[in-house]
Amino acid sequence: MAGVGFVWSTPFLWMIVAALRPEGYGPAELASLAPDFVPTLENFRLAWESADFLVNYANTLIVVCGILGVQLVTVTLAGYAFARLEFRFKEALFYLFLLQLMLVPPILIIPNLTTAVRLGIYDTLIGVMAPYMASAFGTFLMRQAFRAVPRDFEDAAVIDGCSFLALLRHVMLPLVRPTLVAFAIVSVVAHWNELLWPLMVVNSPKRQTLVVGLASFTQASEGAAEWGLIAAGTLLVTLPLILAFIAFQRQFVNSFMFSGLK
Amino acid sequence: MISKGDQTMTMRHLIPAGRAKAFSLALALAAALLSAPGKAATTSLDFYFPTPVQGPLARELTRIVKEFNEKNADIDVVAVYTGSYDDTRVKAQAAIAAGKPPGVALMSANFVLEFVLNRQIEPIEDYLVENKVDPKSFLDDFWPAVRPNATIDGKIYAIPYQNSTPLLYINADHFREAGLDPAQPPKTWADLVSYAEKLTKREGDQVVRWGLTMPSAYDYCGWLIQSFTMANGGLFYNPSYGGEVYYDQPSTLGALQLWKDLAFKYKVMPQGVIDPNQVSADFFAGKASMVVLSTGSLSFIRNGAKFPYRVGFMPRNVRNAVPIGGGSLIAFAGLTPEQRKAAWRFMSYMTSAEQLGYWSRFTGYFSPRKSSYDLPEMKEFIAQHPDALTALEQLEYAGPWLAVYDTVAVRKAMEDQVQAVLSGKKEPGQAVKDAQKAADEIMRPLTEKITGGVGP
Amino acid sequence: METAQEVELVVTAEARPLGLARWRKTGARPYLLLAPSLFFLLLFTYLPIARVIRDSLYLQHLGDQAGRFVGLANYARLFADEKFRTALLNNLAYGAGTLLPTIVLAIAFAVLLQRSTRLNAVIRACLFFPTVVPLTAAAGLWIFIFLPNGGLIDYYLGPLGLRSINWLGNPDLALAALSILTVWKNAGYYMLFYLAGLQAIPGEALEAALLDGANGWQRFWHVTLPLLRPTTAFVVAIALVNVVTNVDHVIVMTHGGPNNATNLLLYYIFQTQTEFHDPGKATAATVVSLAALLAISFFGLRALERGIRHEG
Repeated sequence: MAGVGFVWSTPFLWMIVAALRPEGYGPAELASLAPDFVPTLENFRLAWESADFLVNYANTLIVVCGILGVQLVTVTLAGYAFARLEFRFKEALFYLFLLQLMLVPPILIIPNLTTAVRLGIYDTLIGVMAPYMASAFGTFLMRQAFRAVPRDFEDAAVIDGCSFLALLRHVMLPLVRPTLVAFAIVSVVAHWNELLWPLMVVNSPKRQTLVVGLASFTQASEGAAEWGLIAAGTLLVTLPLILAFIAFQRQFVNSFMFSGLK
Repeated sequence: MISKGDQTMTMRHLIPAGRAKAFSLALALAAALLSAPGKAATTSLDFYFPTPVQGPLARELTRIVKEFNEKNADIDVVAVYTGSYDDTRVKAQAAIAAGKPPGVALMSANFVLEFVLNRQIEPIEDYLVENKVDPKSFLDDFWPAVRPNATIDGKIYAIPYQNSTPLLYINADHFREAGLDPAQPPKTWADLVSYAEKLTKREGDQVVRWGLTMPSAYDYCGWLIQSFTMANGGLFYNPSYGGEVYYDQPSTLGALQLWKDLAFKYKVMPQGVIDPNQVSADFFAGKASMVVLSTGSLSFIRNGAKFPYRVGFMPRNVRNAVPIGGGSLIAFAGLTPEQRKAAWRFMSYMTSAEQLGYWSRFTGYFSPRKSSYDLPEMKEFIAQHPDALTALEQLEYAGPWLAVYDTVAVRKAMEDQVQAVLSGKKEPGQAVKDAQKAADEIMRPLTEKITGGVGP
Repeated sequence: METAQEVELVVTAEARPLGLARWRKTGARPYLLLAPSLFFLLLFTYLPIARVIRDSLYLQHLGDQAGRFVGLANYARLFADEKFRTALLNNLAYGAGTLLPTIVLAIAFAVLLQRSTRLNAVIRACLFFPTVVPLTAAAGLWIFIFLPNGGLIDYYLGPLGLRSINWLGNPDLALAALSILTVWKNAGYYMLFYLAGLQAIPGEALEAALLDGANGWQRFWHVTLPLLRPTTAFVVAIALVNVVTNVDHVIVMTHGGPNNATNLLLYYIFQTQTEFHDPGKATAATVVSLAALLAISFFGLRALERGIRHEG
């Protein structure tokens, strides 16, 4: 397994080596993973200067947390309704929700841009977040999770005179926490990495997200790729999530323990 | 200094956190107090720009824009990096469709036509007339080769900013080693083939060094097949009418045949489609002795090559001829009168002989303005860099770049076929016929208007 | 956003102990709970879908943006378009070529790394790392990895005969190359879900099998794997979405080339809309793929539902 882990991380190792490699090394050695040189932070300096990284980090954090925050509310409410309540058009509404599952904004860029302009959220971070604030996937997951909660728990709380919101907050949510965590991971990973929609809906450099800022390193059409710079830029973008993973690995995995999706 | 324009922005784009809101309100208030008496409002203008070469160019262009803003306190040009040339076009069109057009953009020179067809940009000629600049003498200062792509139906729609042509780069050491004179790069197709054969090194059936490499990924592919077609005496497309291409003509067929033969018959070039990044990497690594790349890569090659290199004209079969490439400044329709004034000042600043000369020295692109080369700093630079002189001299033989109805689709119709040939999946004869058919189909909406509704 | 607040207010005001039956049937409550979601879905899903369906009935082209009504002509042109068929087939091949290997690897990784040792934690981090690299950045990296003569693969695997292979420039290999990148990127991600799934498998089940004399492989095949079914259903659902909705690597690495060998459905739509100025055909393709995807997700979710219910 250690071997597989090594193979898997060779691109990562190469990225670190290439990012630290001083300029002027012949391309023959560029592929080498061996750090046979005096490391330099020059590539990081150039990458750092090429984009406004601090602002980009902040924007990405706002976007990712903003989306997740609203999603947790919309998804919990809708998931509960589909799991526990009886109402007309339930089935039809459920499939109407599912319509969104495979629908990604890239397909709908033009109509969505028009909507964003009309709402006055074009070129704002809210504009980046808005299309994702409802989630069919999350709704579906929560519906499954709520269904797995024994009815007795709920009935007891209702008979005790528990208000609806209190029931949700204090009885139901703790029981479905693993599902919420699973969904949070999927959501954060997806929106951290998203390129096309933020690129289209935001103009001002002040509101660009990390990946959009990074795009300036990864594209070259005149055959002038600076691999060291690409590597350094990529490292700067990915590092926070890697550190987060290393720090929270155990919690991530453990939180799935009682998950409805197992 | 925060100005009136910024205030509305801060107010509109509230960050969710309450503290940030209070903070930006305070800022806006302070700004209003500070800038209150007699200070003219700042005009804000979005400037979309791509960087076909990465990193350093984007940084430098951002710096130039910043310098302009510092010199013009009443204008705030917001430089928006928009990815590649293609991404820039897509983003500009999406923004227009959404009702939020940018002010000015640096657009690939052959995309100008489609913005004109959709009436999305304003003629530069209007700006010239308003500002009492004679359009004819304005255009006269630009090289003849860059004029057609900037002029549509006799009207100026774009100001060329950074231009290039294909150029042959050779490894001088390899030339000497093969008994060739590096001062004499191949002049004709016959030379090109025989030199490449001498330069190619094999160990068994493994090629360890290619005689020639050139990019054939989308975009570069169409540009180079046009270049070879022109060198073969052909036209490639009708520059005075955007509904005709000459893909199935003998000159194009001959160009494609040469390209195929280099890879399959003479085996001096790798088979398959080649990425431009691979071409430069191979050249730097000494794994390709001759490469074809844009003059826009000149500075990149100059800084990256650890061996003596030379440049030469694109070899000819019938005549010396190359297409231009690169980008031009365009101004979008729907700007306010203040924004138009700002746009004109910005564009004239960016395209002054001095600025264009500076950008040319920094990047390797040639300056589209002749007068840039009369400047002392430019004369000195050319004297120091003979490779830049060769690139400049080839300009005399340059012609316009493919620009027709739906340029990208028509270009891809040809590129798909070239790529099929280079992968050994098709013969050139069939390929050019298929390309012509596909291109005619794409341009039908335009051609129907002049054929009385009959298809080609 | 406002709607969300309103809903909460209404809900709180109304939240009084009620009879159990009424609790579940109170007229407006379900709709109020759905309202926040429906608000966003309306704006960013239903409205645009309506517009896409409308646009698919109009023919628009360069210089004629108003367009004219042409009925189903765009659909006819779409099905006659060889590139559309190519994109469809490519997407199927890409789906088949990434789904199975990724999931098999993810299960293998999870099974072999389920014990929480320090070494395993490090290896897990190595495997998970590709997940957090944005696809655009990963694509930029892999251009170098695939670079013939001097790229990472060439440099290290050259001695094994994998020399000077034009991965991205050969139409027979390019899609496979993109698939390799996809497997690399996602296997560690899905592993995470399987690690969680494994933790939930009761120890008694495996002990019982052990007592019955089952060997390691038999225990895995007959006990572990069936118990992982809900996880698999979940992972397949995300993987399917990824197969269809991720095209950043196509944009960065190949632009659908060479000769459309890596043109995937979403990229085809994107290209038709933005590069070829044919919104009629692009929207028709969107409608067709939406219908297909809806069918897939319908059956996919049914399977997922069954998987979970089976477990529960």
